[in-house]
Amino acid sequence: MIQETMTPRERVEAAIKLEPYDRVPVAPLMDVMFPSRHKGMTVAHGLSHWREGFQAIVDIFEKVGGWDAMILPGYSLALTPSVGSGVTVSLGSGRYRFPGQDSAVAVDSQPQYEERELLTVEDYDEIIKLGWSGFAEKNRERFTPFSPEAIISWTERQTAHYIKEKQTWDTKGIPSLCGAIVESPLMFFSTKRSLISFTMDLHRVPDKVQVAMDIVVDEFIAEAIAATRLTAIPGVMLVLERGGGFYYPLKIFERFEFPYMKKMVEAFAAEGLLTVMHFDQDWTVNLPYLKELPKKMCVCELDSTTDIFKAKELLKDHMCIMGDVPASLTSIGTPEEVEAYCKKLIDVVGKDTGFILSSGCTVPADAKFENFKAMIDTAKNHLPIR
Amino acid sequence: MSELADALADLDEDKVRSLVRGRIDAGVAPMSIVDECRKGMDIVGERYKSKEYFLSELIVSGEIFKEAMAVVEPMLGFDKQAKQIGRMVLGTVKGDIHNIGKDIVATLMKAAGFEVYDLGIDVAPGKFVEKLTETGAPILGMSGLLTPSFGSMKETVEAVQAAGLRDKVKVVIGGGIVTEQVRKYVGADAFTDDAAEGVEICRRFAVELK
Repeated sequence: MIQETMTPRERVEAAIKLEPYDRVPVAPLMDVMFPSRHKGMTVAHGLSHWREGFQAIVDIFEKVGGWDAMILPGYSLALTPSVGSGVTVSLGSGRYRFPGQDSAVAVDSQPQYEERELLTVEDYDEIIKLGWSGFAEKNRERFTPFSPEAIISWTERQTAHYIKEKQTWDTKGIPSLCGAIVESPLMFFSTKRSLISFTMDLHRVPDKVQVAMDIVVDEFIAEAIAATRLTAIPGVMLVLERGGGFYYPLKIFERFEFPYMKKMVEAFAAEGLLTVMHFDQDWTVNLPYLKELPKKMCVCELDSTTDIFKAKELLKDHMCIMGDVPASLTSIGTPEEVEAYCKKLIDVVGKDTGFILSSGCTVPADAKFENFKAMIDTAKNHLPIR
Repeated sequence: MSELADALADLDEDKVRSLVRGRIDAGVAPMSIVDECRKGMDIVGERYKSKEYFLSELIVSGEIFKEAMAVVEPMLGFDKQAKQIGRMVLGTVKGDIHNIGKDIVATLMKAAGFEVYDLGIDVAPGKFVEKLTETGAPILGMSGLLTPSFGSMKETVEAVQAAGLRDKVKVVIGGGIVTEQVRKYVGADAFTDDAAEGVEICRRFAVELK
């Protein structure tokens, strides 16, 4: 065990500010799935019983002797009390099929994403005319059966849970990094139109897509900032998957993704908010652009498909890197394999500063406990080779 | 290269539509129109390999190809079977309902000249075996996006083995998080997280199986 001279909060802040740390901090992206299963509950039960599900996360934390930060404090959502924010969530969750609610998804499986068109190509016109909130309010009944009052009440409950989750970690001295979650406009439209239809939109009606993005981005920024004020957590998770090099050439990224990412990150930084950029899929070709984002105000969170070593090489003087123990390794690997993977990350990406060891995306529902513990222990026991 | 193949390779949707219609009206043999479109898709594949094109161009070209085939295919008759380069059974494995990667692969495989028996999503091992037995297809493609899909893929390979088909069937797995470690765990012959590479793997299998 390394002799620790910093608190978890100091250690994580040092990593983010690119200052020296006593050891590499470790912060898994943890939701309720793996902890529920480990505790003998089904995922469906954990998801639908907030208190028990959240307690399962706390229990895993205690069982492995703790870690250094919660990227998100639990699995609630931080939302402003508005119909627009509730409908946005309905649109998002409408794509998911949940265990316990859908016979196609086993009770012990994680929620699964179904790619389908929730927005039509004609909707761009109305979004341009009314703005996102105006569109969401006008079309509420298309996306959710609930009344405006019920939606607002639900958003308030979600945010109250979020604040309770954050307070639980505060009492343990563990910082929560993100007080809101938001998608980039490209991620938003791609997932609501479906990948194939949205890609055809970019081919057939690119100007219209761009105007719609120009309209929604300011609303997304305002909603995220307002949510961080409610939760009192000075950070935002920016969810990114669809705009990177795995899917699109740089000419698409440069026009439809990066300007909006940049605008969002800069707006958050101007409010003193950290942005954790949650990158799913391979963004290696996009990494050089990240140097244009505000220095020491972002975290580049990778899922093991982007080249994390290249990210370190390019961004080491600019932003903290987080990641990227692969889900497959945690699920079917051995503790020795996990330890070897983490040691390499700590030695190369964690050298000097600017690294937070984490799971590559969410810890999978079927992670092996001993593999998960190996990740946490390696951070606590292994100093980077100097 | 023909004008039609070039138009498809350049993703010129309107031009492809108009050229296909013009060839049909002029009485050009439907299979020859298909061949031209496939040549266009081959160019798309080459541009993808050389990194000039990305997944987005594979998607757009696949959609244009599908639209052209919707017009031409009903006129094909027996020609269709004669020109196929291979057959495969494809599906997203039990417990997983993700379809997007599988659907892109299915489109590209058809464009490459494969007969694809697409079983959809959440496909149980027995269903895969049943279709392999019924069709005699020598390639099995399994897709999955979540870690629990690894267990379903493994069970399916074991079911193929138990049915006495493993020696006759090549197995490829695909999905965003599959790795060499997963391939070994599952007992597959190949893995990929890249739809175009998946087509190349199956082309190679088709040659090996001849």
